[in-house]
Amino acid sequence: MPAVQETIDQVRGIDIDQYKYGFETVIEVDKAPKGLSEEIIRFISAKKQEPEWMLEWRLEAYRRWLTMEEPTWARVDYPKIDFNDLYYYAAPKNVTGPKSLDEVDPELLRTYEKLGIPLKEQEILAGVKTSKVAVDAVFDSVSVVTTFKKELQKAGVIFMSISEAIREYPELVQKYLGSVVPQSDNFYATLNSAVFTDGSFVFVPKGVRCPMELSTYFRINEKNTGQFERTLIIAEEGAYVSYLEGCTAPQRDENQLHAAVVELVALDDAEIKYSTVQNWFPGDKEGKGGIYNFVTKRGDCRGARSKISWTQVETGSAITWKYPSCILRGDESRGEFYSIAVSNGHQQIDSGTKMIHLGKNTSSRIISKGISAGKSNNTYRGQVSVHRRAENARNFTNCDSLLIGDKCGAHTVPYIDVKNASAQVEHEATTSKISEDQKFYVMQRGIPEEEAIALIVNGFVKDVIQELPMEFAVEAQKLIGISLEGSVG
Amino acid sequence: MNMQTTTRLTAAETALVEAFASQIGELPGNGAVIGTRDRLLDDLKKAGLPTRRIEAWHYTDLKTLLRMVPEAVPASVIDPVAALVEGSSVLSVLQGAADARATVEGVQIEAFKEKLADGSAAAGLTALDKDDVIGRINGSFVRDGFALAIPANAEIEEPIELQALHAAGQVHTRFPASFGAASKATIVERHQSVADGAALVSSISDIALEDGADVTWIILQRQGAADTHLGQIRVNLGKDAKLRLFVVNAGGKLVRQELRIAVEGEGAELTLRGVNLLGGDSHTDVTLVLGHNVPHTNSTEIIRNVVFDKASGVFQGMIRVAPDAQKTDAKMSCNTLLLSDEGGFSAKPELEIFADDVVCGHGATVADIEKSHLFYLMARGVPEKKARAMLVNAFVAEIVEELEDEKLVEALEGVISAWLEKHA
Repeated sequence: MPAVQETIDQVRGIDIDQYKYGFETVIEVDKAPKGLSEEIIRFISAKKQEPEWMLEWRLEAYRRWLTMEEPTWARVDYPKIDFNDLYYYAAPKNVTGPKSLDEVDPELLRTYEKLGIPLKEQEILAGVKTSKVAVDAVFDSVSVVTTFKKELQKAGVIFMSISEAIREYPELVQKYLGSVVPQSDNFYATLNSAVFTDGSFVFVPKGVRCPMELSTYFRINEKNTGQFERTLIIAEEGAYVSYLEGCTAPQRDENQLHAAVVELVALDDAEIKYSTVQNWFPGDKEGKGGIYNFVTKRGDCRGARSKISWTQVETGSAITWKYPSCILRGDESRGEFYSIAVSNGHQQIDSGTKMIHLGKNTSSRIISKGISAGKSNNTYRGQVSVHRRAENARNFTNCDSLLIGDKCGAHTVPYIDVKNASAQVEHEATTSKISEDQKFYVMQRGIPEEEAIALIVNGFVKDVIQELPMEFAVEAQKLIGISLEGSVG
Repeated sequence: MNMQTTTRLTAAETALVEAFASQIGELPGNGAVIGTRDRLLDDLKKAGLPTRRIEAWHYTDLKTLLRMVPEAVPASVIDPVAALVEGSSVLSVLQGAADARATVEGVQIEAFKEKLADGSAAAGLTALDKDDVIGRINGSFVRDGFALAIPANAEIEEPIELQALHAAGQVHTRFPASFGAASKATIVERHQSVADGAALVSSISDIALEDGADVTWIILQRQGAADTHLGQIRVNLGKDAKLRLFVVNAGGKLVRQELRIAVEGEGAELTLRGVNLLGGDSHTDVTLVLGHNVPHTNSTEIIRNVVFDKASGVFQGMIRVAPDAQKTDAKMSCNTLLLSDEGGFSAKPELEIFADDVVCGHGATVADIEKSHLFYLMARGVPEKKARAMLVNAFVAEIVEELEDEKLVEALEGVISAWLEKHA
């Protein structure tokens, strides 16, 4: 399995202090002036050759955003962000339609090489059916290379950058964009609606099972560019797609803002599986630097018997503010949320999910594992809501927290609202530390303390790891061990 | 004070402000108490009643729910009722006025009015935080109540019943109670409406347990179908102190019971049990804020709710483990039987943990009666209605049985059965 070996090599040796991906690529960049105004939005829209309706949509969001206030309810603490001191558009130059990898800026390819995205490997791997992964690599804001397009096209699957999709499939985008996360949803989603620069677009037509796992590597590169990704995934009746998202970012002193929006739409009998491994720069030992990650992710189970499953492994970012949700609108639809959130150093995580039961016989399952170490704070915040007409709704929630060290905090804030008597909602949460007995048992067999902890933690999160696609599972397991380095003694 | 622009007051807020203006001349208290009352009312006026935007009031938007405040009317003649448990010493507070003649052997008792008059109550008239509207309302308007002091090593055999009865109008009472080291006692705090017509009741009990005190405190709330009940219990537990706190809500139209508990002594133990019987179109909110502030303390909390009709219920339970409060063991569970499609229940069990060597957990469930249980009984010839009643009864009676004192268990079971018979 070369792809797996690749990931192992890639993550080996990542350290919280010596963040391996903290290099900076020197490459010519085309960017808009600092700050945010209607002109900047017009500039972005023009740069991307967007149709008029798209510009109008952005401007509407911008005007709405000006009236909104930054939310303060989450348990995260950070200096005030000056939204006028950021660049809202930065695109690598010379990327207009490379026909093959050879045409791509070699500097860029070297970056990917360092990142370990096996772009070239992909072509070799093409023959290996079981480990096919199509990568839509996002370098700063513009999709540079998209592989496997042709093969996907054969199946009828559309997988491209959202800017391309706006040009090529405007009706599809117009129909679904903002239909799950409306422009006015929340402060960061509205900001994203106004200034989003790129992201992925996936459309799986009726009855098609996407022939491979789709994957995007996000990467923040240019100094002070807020990364505003917009992803839209649509699975038509009976379609299936599994989407992987993985992230790395170079080391910076100043904090970087990331405010993405992800929208999923599942029609009748469709299934979408969305997996994330988030490994952005968490800041150094003193808590300096690191990414601010304010993300709005929401899936709409619009059709009957549809299913959306979120799996996330969060090990990076200085601040994470993220609640992947499912709106269970279709009868017998199902939502799942599996999460591992590891915080160390000075990281702050406030993450969880929302399961909104609207249809009949809907079910949802939430498994959340939080691990706090160092001086970090890790909060699970989730909502399960069963509406008046949601007959026979079922929910099971389990959130466990593990504490390593006495300077960190673990918090659980579940909201349970039930308005239908036929509902069955169960929630359980526990908080504890690694028991001395377990640690002793492992160490007594000659395993050093840090490895022993990593081993026990990996047992603690097993339920979630199992939900990840093979390629990610190995990477995730390694990452968790690495993220906890330095948490002992 | 910051320069906040004055917001428009709602009808209820205006009524409170006006009631204060018209009552200030007759409210008991020396200069210090009046100064404190003024300040609390001023804060109330500035902050207004809380809305759902205030996290602690997320599910109980008092600004919308409290539409009007009944006028304070002079006390009508109310007769005390029989004690919940035979043989109890009864201290009655009728329409907010304490019966000054009451005595209990071995216990120091003072009408709260006296403590207001001599100013010794002033320091306790506080709001616990910026959202403590109950502290503000009660502190502004409180007229009477009882202050109890159980001396060290005293063992009070029979329960002491604080019997707060009222008709329509406004009633604001306060019950400070201190339990000396190694003392032992059982207190029944009973709030009951004895006539029709809407009432606004606010009541705060300040309970302090010194080292090794062992106390059972029962709150039985049976307000009328039009009443608003704003209750607050402030507890401080000393070293090795043991408190069993039982809260039974079986009445009221709009009820908020706040339990603010600070575990301050090593080896202290809290047992909280709650039974909420919700029917009609009532709204009942039980909010617990429990701080484990020192190492080696335990607590268990079990809340059982039964929801009929169009009632809505809320349980917010926050367990906070302070840094260094190692070896805390806290377990909370909240189970709800939702028996009506028109009713609703919201639970928010929160954990906030800053120490690592702890065992904390919470569980919450909401469901209808288990079909297989119902089938089991019906298969034995029990009609459905009766089978359901038996199961509901068993669901809550289980909690009450933990009280051990047979007379108390019997009395509370009687209250629960009577309520269920009326509503099921």
